[in-house]
Amino acid sequence: MFYFRGCGRWVAASFTKQQFPLARLSSDSAAPRTPHFDVIVIGGGHAGTEAATAAARCGSRTLLLTHRVDTIGQMSCNPSFGGIGKGHLMREVDALDGLCSRICDQSGVHYKVLNRRKGPAVWGLRAQIDRKLYKQNMQKEVLNTPLLTVQEGAVEDLILTEPEPEHTGKCRVSGVVLVDGSTVYAESVILTTGTFLRGMIVIGLETHPAGRLGDQPSIGLAQTLEKLGFVVGRLKTGTPPRIAKESINFSILNKHTPDNPSIPFSFTNETVWIKPEDQLPCYLTHTNPKVDEIVLKNLHLNSHVKETTRGPRYCPSIESKVLRFPNRLHQVWLEPEGMDSDLIYPQGLSMTLPAELQEKMITCIRGLEKAKVIQPGYGVQYDYLDPRQITPSLETHLVQRLFFAGQINGTTGYEEAAAQGVIAGINASLRVSRKPPFVVSRTEGYIGVLIDDLTTLGTSEPYRMFTSRVEFRLSLRPDNADSRLTLRGYKDAGCVSQQRYERACWMKSSLEEGISVLKSIEFSSSKWKNLIPEASISTSRSLPVRALDVLKYEEVDMDSLAKAVPEPLKKYTKCRELAERLKIEELPCERQILALLSQFYSHL
Amino acid sequence: MWRGLWTLAAQAARGPRRLCTRRSSGAPAPGSGATIFALSSGQGRCGIAVIRTSGPASGHALRILTAPRDLPPARHASLRLLSDPRSGEPLDRALVLWFPGPQSFTGEDCVEFHVHGGPAVVSGVLQALGSVPGLRPAEAGEFTRRAFANGKLNLTEVEGLADLIHAETEAQRRQALRQLDGELGHLCRGWAETLTKALAHVEAYIDFGEDDNLEEGVLEQGGSTGWWGRKTPRISSQRLPSLSLSACLLSPTADIEVRALEVALGAHLRDARRGQRLRSGAHVVVTGPPNAGKSSLVNLLSRKPVSIVSPEPGTTRDVLETPVDLAGFPVLLSDTAGLREGVGPVEQEGVRRARERLEQADLILAMLDASDLASPSSCNFLATVVASVGAQSPSDSSQRLLLVLNKSDLLSPEGLGPGPDLPPHLLLSCLTGEGLDGFLEALRKELAAVCGDPSTDPPLLTRARHQHHLQGCLDALGHYKQSKDLALVAEALRVARGHLTRLTGGGGTEEILDIIFRDFCVGK
Repeated sequence: MFYFRGCGRWVAASFTKQQFPLARLSSDSAAPRTPHFDVIVIGGGHAGTEAATAAARCGSRTLLLTHRVDTIGQMSCNPSFGGIGKGHLMREVDALDGLCSRICDQSGVHYKVLNRRKGPAVWGLRAQIDRKLYKQNMQKEVLNTPLLTVQEGAVEDLILTEPEPEHTGKCRVSGVVLVDGSTVYAESVILTTGTFLRGMIVIGLETHPAGRLGDQPSIGLAQTLEKLGFVVGRLKTGTPPRIAKESINFSILNKHTPDNPSIPFSFTNETVWIKPEDQLPCYLTHTNPKVDEIVLKNLHLNSHVKETTRGPRYCPSIESKVLRFPNRLHQVWLEPEGMDSDLIYPQGLSMTLPAELQEKMITCIRGLEKAKVIQPGYGVQYDYLDPRQITPSLETHLVQRLFFAGQINGTTGYEEAAAQGVIAGINASLRVSRKPPFVVSRTEGYIGVLIDDLTTLGTSEPYRMFTSRVEFRLSLRPDNADSRLTLRGYKDAGCVSQQRYERACWMKSSLEEGISVLKSIEFSSSKWKNLIPEASISTSRSLPVRALDVLKYEEVDMDSLAKAVPEPLKKYTKCRELAERLKIEELPCERQILALLSQFYSHL
Repeated sequence: MWRGLWTLAAQAARGPRRLCTRRSSGAPAPGSGATIFALSSGQGRCGIAVIRTSGPASGHALRILTAPRDLPPARHASLRLLSDPRSGEPLDRALVLWFPGPQSFTGEDCVEFHVHGGPAVVSGVLQALGSVPGLRPAEAGEFTRRAFANGKLNLTEVEGLADLIHAETEAQRRQALRQLDGELGHLCRGWAETLTKALAHVEAYIDFGEDDNLEEGVLEQGGSTGWWGRKTPRISSQRLPSLSLSACLLSPTADIEVRALEVALGAHLRDARRGQRLRSGAHVVVTGPPNAGKSSLVNLLSRKPVSIVSPEPGTTRDVLETPVDLAGFPVLLSDTAGLREGVGPVEQEGVRRARERLEQADLILAMLDASDLASPSSCNFLATVVASVGAQSPSDSSQRLLLVLNKSDLLSPEGLGPGPDLPPHLLLSCLTGEGLDGFLEALRKELAAVCGDPSTDPPLLTRARHQHHLQGCLDALGHYKQSKDLALVAEALRVARGHLTRLTGGGGTEEILDIIFRDFCVGK
């Protein structure tokens, strides 16, 4: 029922057409010369697109191999990006000039920053994304990336050669064999095959092989990897059914509106593509005892739930929620799938019941009494490779120049995949030019924590980013990802555009200058009290008070300071981001705790 | 060709333990796969010497050395003839013990060879083991490190074991044994658990409160499950944080738990100096006016002529130190110059050093000539040194003082003549030994108070590291109370917990996530 359409068809050759002989290698060419690239990326999901574009940004001639070009940039599960921890990863991907944050700023339909009442270190940028727009915008970006070629095709095997003696590893990858038997050679190969390695879809008692609903799994590749000696594990995940929008009675449900103004994901954007008033709302409803009853009565029809394969504890199916926390009402968020989409994504209702029972259960829920299920929820079981088999640069220990990124390493989530993709793309490219690897440490970013956890501890459930995993959470904030990574990305990896680099440099020097100017302004405390009456400035101190210390008061921000002392502070309020970052940098408690932390870590 | 490569590659990838080690360093991690052997008893001629192996090839090595015999029954002593696998030459008739993992000291397969202690036998067996493929000599501490790596010992137990091996006195041995039992570890683990639970609940609120439909009033007050958790079914409308920050920060349950922890920590920190004294020796300083008999007492206690003794005042000018075992306690005994003014520059320096040493003393043995109590130097000494130490509060950390009146043999039968009022004191004659038993008993009691008696007291903190981390934990809890921002509250708890888990091991994020997913229904 599925299969190899367009295998070997060149879908989009890029700007490199004129420079390289590859462009001649279309399927109608009678005797093609074996094509040769710097980097091949297998898979066009969130890891693959970031990996391919990052490698190309680093100057490598790159080939992206995917089953279907029209699924590049597909959001196969939830119609949202970001969140707490995940939003941090997106800011870091953006700081390295990755795609997903910029694409989200062009494709969102409901932008909201989470955790706003908590400290700035744990703010979570999040948005509901229009699936169609995201895919369109992503494909436009990928297909127009210089040095990047995209080809449809399924990879069956790897081409291996003698290892380079100066590196560890038993052999070296030098290309791939496609299902049609053709070969493509490359200096580095990145595997981003997601859930496609022996992927298996489960609905009720039915199972059938598939990487994603409607897409064939990769079985040959999985066998190749196992034969090479990679340790393989199995994980499962699931996705909820999709419901017809017009069949839902929203009028009786709790409505949630987006932020006004919308905060963009990318450092390069001042605002998002859509006005807050044009954005779509989300709705909240709850399960009830009838839902529990249907789940419990039909456990015998539900093989996915009974199996022992580890699924994510933080993203349980409704079945596991009912089993583990009985007699409760569970939340169900009704999220829009897009501006002109007829579908609603019921977040919280991931399930693998037989399809007819899914609709029966859903119609028990308030607001969904007449709901029509358009696509049933299903479970996916898939192979992953023990990530302790890769280095911090995401190259495998076993096979030189072979890189893994994304769900293949046991992670879950678009953002986790994108983060690994950028790092794999950069390192695959650096490896070709024989430069030292680009490794982000745990002290530098969430990306570093993610990769360090995976490569040293492995994982037994799909790994998701949480801020609680991050030791240096107070320093690794979403607001300062550019100062942590953009400068390094430009200098050490070469993956950052000149424009972004200059912007990050400007921001860094402006922050430093702003802080020294704030230090230089001194008045008596009573004068400050007069200038900013709304601040609870204590007038008992006789020593002069610096503007920097006034900024530490909760009620004071750069705007109120600039109103009090327009010269020279006015210019620091012109850039909203600069003004906010100055305030965050000077939060007083932050400083004290940071001192405590540095003392702790220096005495290890 | 590729088949060969694949086999190699498969071998390299096999074995989860190997994968656990950080490969980024490039060098293979010590202890990965290799079987180690070492002489476990002391070096030199002895009756029996014990040679141990640990690792997967242990059974193979035992079989090769005792060929053609099979493996003896597990954990039973068996008599076997050991012979050199290369020459077949007999080495020794020895007791061998076979400990298949994981029920062994290191958790790996282990073998013990109890051989006769002659150097030729020992080196012969060691060489024979070295010739078995896959075996190599162990590095210092490697058996213990493997036991630690395999979860057989925790960090405090490892330290307790190291102390046991170095225990020189009886009290040190008892202390080390107690610590090896994991008593300190147990205590710290209890504290760490409290903090882990507290932290897990704060982290749950940060990571899942708004993102993942945390379906619980996480930070509600008065929860019956401790902390802020509450087990009754409730719905909180997330994404709009319905609970105010102050509700969480001022939660009485939280405050009670943390305060109880702070009190317990404080109590143990006051204990800390005692544990250190027990490990490294209590400082006992003998002081007094010139010619009171200080050096005689030092020689008597150390049972050797440490100091020159003469009837001439000011004989001892420098500080003389000697380590001694007094009633089972390790003691660093210092003899000092007699305290007096108006002497020559050399003796003046000696007096200055004596006073300096006095300040560092844990226990002061203040010595006076019983027959000379009315002299100005005696009165002056009583008024300054003895009175000032006596005036300190009698808490554990302050100095203790034992007043000893020497030369009781010179007293008239009526006892002490007229003189100043004396605080509690002991009479002693270093010359005749009269009163020595009473003095030693008093000394033992004082040392027990200074060092702590490990057989009855709560576990002591024998290492400066322990004190450092407990203090760090206490400091961090102080910040916890002040913080207004939930991320900062979490940070303070993290640091506090981090300090404790430096002592107990563990402390990863996984433990926090386990609690979160156990206690809350998190999920999309």
